[in-house]
Amino acid sequence: MAEKVVVTGMGMISSLGFTVESNWKNLVEGRSGVHTISRFDASSLATRIAAEVSPGFEEFSRDYIKKRQAGQMTQVTRMCVTASKMAVEDASIDFDATDRRRCAVIMGVVNTGNSSVEKDTTLQNFVFKNMSNSMAAWISMEYRLNGPSFSVNTACASSAYALALGFDLIRQGKCDIVICGGADSIVNPEEISGFNALYALSTSNDLPEQASKPFSRDRDGFVIGEGAGVIILESFSHAVGRNAKIHGEFAGYATTSEGYNIMAPAADGEGMAYTMREALANAGIEAGEVGYINAHGTSTELNDRYETFAIKKVFGDLAGKIPVSSSKSMIGHTIGAAGSIEAIITVMALREGILPPTINYRVPDPDLDLDYIPNIARVTEARVALSNSFGFGGHNATLVFRKYPS
Amino acid sequence: MALITDKTRVEVREIVIDFFAEECEVDKQTIHDGTNIIKDIDGDSLMFLELIEIFKKKYNLDIELKVIGKYAVKHPVTTIGQLIDMQMLIIEHENHLLELER
Repeated sequence: MAEKVVVTGMGMISSLGFTVESNWKNLVEGRSGVHTISRFDASSLATRIAAEVSPGFEEFSRDYIKKRQAGQMTQVTRMCVTASKMAVEDASIDFDATDRRRCAVIMGVVNTGNSSVEKDTTLQNFVFKNMSNSMAAWISMEYRLNGPSFSVNTACASSAYALALGFDLIRQGKCDIVICGGADSIVNPEEISGFNALYALSTSNDLPEQASKPFSRDRDGFVIGEGAGVIILESFSHAVGRNAKIHGEFAGYATTSEGYNIMAPAADGEGMAYTMREALANAGIEAGEVGYINAHGTSTELNDRYETFAIKKVFGDLAGKIPVSSSKSMIGHTIGAAGSIEAIITVMALREGILPPTINYRVPDPDLDLDYIPNIARVTEARVALSNSFGFGGHNATLVFRKYPS
Repeated sequence: MALITDKTRVEVREIVIDFFAEECEVDKQTIHDGTNIIKDIDGDSLMFLELIEIFKKKYNLDIELKVIGKYAVKHPVTTIGQLIDMQMLIIEHENHLLELER
């Protein structure tokens, strides 16, 4: 019988806080982490807002990362390493009592954030700051792990792919524990200018906290966020064997390609629907069992439209009864970190029995008529949930989580 | 070749210990000649490179990294004392360091 994969630890950093607990509290309260950009002078840019991680993070991270190592990392890498350490602490893992050869690290990394706004980059630390394997490397070095350790890049689905690959390592019996997730920040002039040139970003600069409005008729593009999300995946037998606390079950997933366009999703959500169907099949879940969908929900015209169509294709008459919300309405689009951050939110939703809302939902789009949990969190008895991540280049992922105990 | 004085040796020792105390976040008083750089204070090999740059600037040294590398292969440095001794040799002999082997 295939080994179950469970979540035994979580660590999260975003514009809403430095811990899973603080983030969850703010998400449930429907708070927005979006503000006018403070990290650099964005006044000349078309988009001047973002969901930035608070500057207090640097001080917070000193409890987790030595000064010497911090100097060889970008802020993005520091977020990843800090979130990883919090996740390991949460999981109460004693690596001395664990076979380190059966412990892996997989990080979703689009880039390490060594941009024009990154501080203290010198000739001597440039290579270490730049190399995209650095996050996985630092974490495996920290715990002296000897299993597979690598990064994966599938744009906005990167950390979801990292979780999927971690799932496979455990299911295939190659690993007992996988530290997986991702971190990202594109809050810099170059990236913002680039995305502005594609008309992808919201330019609702006057009311930052209301700018990210997934599924609304007046949505005008995504809002950049930043952060890190790390999950400890563990085989059920290993977790039970060491009496670990279990947050939830990672029941299955699908990772697919749309093979369609470098930026736009396939028409009418066809690729997204395929991904969700495959995920349900992989997890052995019937459509009627799904009680919540954490949407990719970017607040862009096409994604929100096609994702809604896709949900309808997959769930048919049930679609209108399944609550759907977008965490990006509050924490923005955390790009490479989105998959793992939103997986954490999904696990928390099932564990706590509360569904976070889609905030800023004031002007419904008549074509998009699902239940988007408008503005206020909701109590739930959901036992199964999906988390969607769809990246530029057509990289799709849907993760399936089950409440524990099932 | 530079002239080495007692003052130079004191200076070099101070710079090395201050550097490791700062980078490894340890008390200076805990660092002595027998301190193992990696095992005792969690140092790394990059620190050696950084120190070379510091001394190159301070003493205006003409020394290539490959010369130091070739010397270090035969005279590995693991302790603070060994590192200070090697820095002294680098300052004294610069690019002629390998001639000590002949």
